Amino acid sequence: MSEPTTQLLRGTLHVLILRVLSEGEAHGYEVATHLAERTERVFDLEDGALYQALHRMEARGWLVSEWGHADNGRRARFYRLTEEGHRRLELETASWLRYSRAVARVLLPPGEAPEPAGA
Amino acid sequence: MDRARRRFRPLPRDRREIEVEIDEEIAFHLEMRRRELIAQGLTPSEAWEEARRRFGDLETTREVCMKSDGRLERRRAWGESFADARRDLALALRNVRRRPAFSALAAGTLALGIGATTAVWSAVDHVLLRPLPYRDAEKVVTLRESDPVAGAPKQEVSPGNYHDWQRLAESFSAMALAEPSGFDLTDGATPETVAAWRVTEEWFTALGVEPLHGRGLVAEDYAVGPARPPAVVVISHRLWRSRYGGDPDLVGKTIEVDRQAATVVGVLPPGLDYPEPRDLWAPKTWRVSVRYDERADRGSSYMQAVARLAPDADVESARREMDHVAELLAAEYPATNAGVGVAVTPLREEIVGDVRPALVVLLGAVALVLAIAGANVAGLLLGRASERGRELAVRAALGASRARLARQALAEGLVLAVAGGAAGVAAAWAALRVVRTVAPPELPRLDALGLDGPVLAFAAGLTLAVALACSAAPALRPAPRGALRPGARAALGARTRGGSPLRRILVVAQVAVGLILLVGAGLLARSFLALTANDLGFEVERRAALQLFLWDLYPERGPRDQAAAAISERLAAVPGVREVAIVSALPFHPSQIDATDELGILGRPPRPGERRIVHTTIASPEYFPLAGIPLVEGRSLDDRDRTGAAAVAVINRTLARRFFPGEDPVGKRVTVGVMSAPVEREIVGVVGDVRPTAFDSDPRPELYVPFAQSGNGSLTFVVETAGDPTPLLPALRAGVWEVNPGQSIYHAAAVEDLVAATLAARRFHLLLVGCLSTAALALAMVGIYGLLSYLTRQRTAEIGVRMALGASRGSVASLVVGSGLRLAAAGVALGLAGALLVTRFLRPLLYRVEPADPSTFVQIGLLVIAVCALASYLPARRAAAADPVTALRAE
Repeated sequence: MSEPTTQLLRGTLHVLILRVLSEGEAHGYEVATHLAERTERVFDLEDGALYQALHRMEARGWLVSEWGHADNGRRARFYRLTEEGHRRLELETASWLRYSRAVARVLLPPGEAPEPAGA
Repeated sequence: MDRARRRFRPLPRDRREIEVEIDEEIAFHLEMRRRELIAQGLTPSEAWEEARRRFGDLETTREVCMKSDGRLERRRAWGESFADARRDLALALRNVRRRPAFSALAAGTLALGIGATTAVWSAVDHVLLRPLPYRDAEKVVTLRESDPVAGAPKQEVSPGNYHDWQRLAESFSAMALAEPSGFDLTDGATPETVAAWRVTEEWFTALGVEPLHGRGLVAEDYAVGPARPPAVVVISHRLWRSRYGGDPDLVGKTIEVDRQAATVVGVLPPGLDYPEPRDLWAPKTWRVSVRYDERADRGSSYMQAVARLAPDADVESARREMDHVAELLAAEYPATNAGVGVAVTPLREEIVGDVRPALVVLLGAVALVLAIAGANVAGLLLGRASERGRELAVRAALGASRARLARQALAEGLVLAVAGGAAGVAAAWAALRVVRTVAPPELPRLDALGLDGPVLAFAAGLTLAVALACSAAPALRPAPRGALRPGARAALGARTRGGSPLRRILVVAQVAVGLILLVGAGLLARSFLALTANDLGFEVERRAALQLFLWDLYPERGPRDQAAAAISERLAAVPGVREVAIVSALPFHPSQIDATDELGILGRPPRPGERRIVHTTIASPEYFPLAGIPLVEGRSLDDRDRTGAAAVAVINRTLARRFFPGEDPVGKRVTVGVMSAPVEREIVGVVGDVRPTAFDSDPRPELYVPFAQSGNGSLTFVVETAGDPTPLLPALRAGVWEVNPGQSIYHAAAVEDLVAATLAARRFHLLLVGCLSTAALALAMVGIYGLLSYLTRQRTAEIGVRMALGASRGSVASLVVGSGLRLAAAGVALGLAGALLVTRFLRPLLYRVEPADPSTFVQIGLLVIAVCALASYLPARRAAAADPVTALRAE
């Protein structure tokens, strides 16, 4: 790839996956494609890491998986958010926004910093 | 996205299935990626390489995913079995609620069994198993003189022997004496008479008692003169709480004991019941005068001795040494000590030895009741299972596995057992409260009785065991196969009618066990009747007894005799009192002054080895007529026998028979000491025998001397009243205090109550075993009734056919009663055989009844048959009342 890539912060991958799946169930490849499009390929993310995260999150009860058929008719494993997954997404989103705003307020020149959370 | 055709994945996946799924998932991903890359213009092999590169390390991902999925499956499996258990329990609860009468019967039956067992276990645990509240209690022993006449260990020790044991024995690190005593607490608004111990210096050390507050008694506490109320006292936990409100600063304060100030130096912890629960401990000071030294008295045994084994000694070595000491003393003091042994008994044995057989019998009895209750419920559940045969067959046909049905049965048993267990524990709690109040006071360690952690754990374990045991039969019952085929319903009925042998066996066993318990209760009842039918030899009704010790207030004989006369006069003046007598030892009195001495007969020296030990009592002339002891020969004691007159004695029949066989003892001259040096006396009369201490105690050789000629200070005033003496007790006490307000009254009670108290333990055993066996019989009745009702329902069609064919209602009824009686007869036969085997364990509790008493066995057998007939009659009547048409339609 020609563009510079960035290491994904620990734990951030989970919240991104939760966000993607909150729009509807998807198989692993779909999740990977969505993530790449949304992040404009900023992150240097191996596909394997995505699958590891999906299975971990399933074991934690945030996701459930079922086998079904993809659009091309092939058998694929679909993931879907559980109630707990939805709750998790809300929590993580709020905490991540607080974090990034705080960091941005320090890094950006005054006036360019975003409004404090909740404003 | 249309993904409607997805399948549910069966659970749980095993390791291989997980692996296959992960591989499939990854393969799908790589394939999709490859297609995407080819669409972007890569060659198929470049696309494959790139897809693999973007995926990263394949093996690591596989492993991580495998691990996560394994964890997930384990969690699912747990959740599944938890959900299963919840479903089983919910279904069981629904089934239990659907038939409230049935369930109440089953749970109530279990409650009875579990409750009774829990209550008795609590007693066994607290009384027999828990450690005693003394430091290194296994090192503590009691020391007693063995009785040369009866051969059995005697309760008390004489001061003279005790001091010699202390001097000679080396097996003990500490040895001490306690003398029963009593004081009046005269501080505050309400005076209170408390039982006390006068103890020697090492008492608390020997027993291993650490005071809760303050200290025990030390050397300087003993450096006071004799014959006065104590200057320092140690008090019981009970007294501290009840009278002094648990005042944490009581130690060091002064209280008033017998109207004199005494300092409380210590408060003891609760539960110190040896030798018996009392409230005050004071230093023992010895009576020493020119004529009498109490410390050297070896003729009167009235003290309790305890000792702590030295570190290198054990009970056996101590016994050997004390045997040797006893021989030395016998050689040194042949007059008093020939043949007197020393009994060394471990403290635990001393405290619980007497109640162990009764408790073990009780535990056996409740275990039997529990077995009956369990069998009953197992029978009920079995009956339910076969009644529900169709339902179970349907569920089996719908795919419920045999394990599932068995689990269901267990869940139902568990629900019933838990309900029964909870009710049982509540019942046990209530029962123990009752027991604590009605139990005879001599039962040791009663105050500790109750439901606590260990006992509740026992009850919980018991409940689970019962749940397993009584649902095992229905759970293991084979699932009805093919029961849904046409015609199978009749076949099902036929099978249960001819069969259900397990239920029959259970009912027979219940009848047998109930019979065993009833035989036990019958034997105890017969013993009780035989015992109370014994003639005591003295009058019990309308008599009261007040025990006083005059030594402390009147150390000199003259004033003492005057005080005794004044007290007699005051008591006689109390309205309702007819007559007053003085005696040193009243039969059946709990603190009887039990004195013995060697009888010398003039002109007839004892043969070598012969011991003429007699019990000696001091009595006023009024005593024999007042106590209802008849004069048999010669004359009774009378006013001629005053101080300074010729010394006389009256003997009882047993003494006359034993030492003057075939001759007239009246006029014979004897030498005997009555709590004093031997004196020559003339026998002037013979009186009737009395039972000395209990209904089963045999009369012993007794010799009475006139009070006027002995001047003793340990006296019981016996009062004859016109009516019930109990209401007069306060007036009688007041009469004593009119003579001297400082006089403590050691014991005051109606004689009838003293006599009844000796039966308290037996009455208690009888009550408990009676209740248990009645419960067992009731349970067996329920068992028979339940089985016959069930069988009768099963045979409704057959009965209908019989009646349609002309069978009379009477013959139908007798058919049912007959099958009940067959079960009863089998149970009775089995039970009688069992009773023959087990009633021998009752022997220590029986009196004049053999464990295999034939008439008890026959009567109880007939009673059980009759009760079983009654239990069979109700279902029989219902069967006979059935309308043949309805009965036929039932099929």
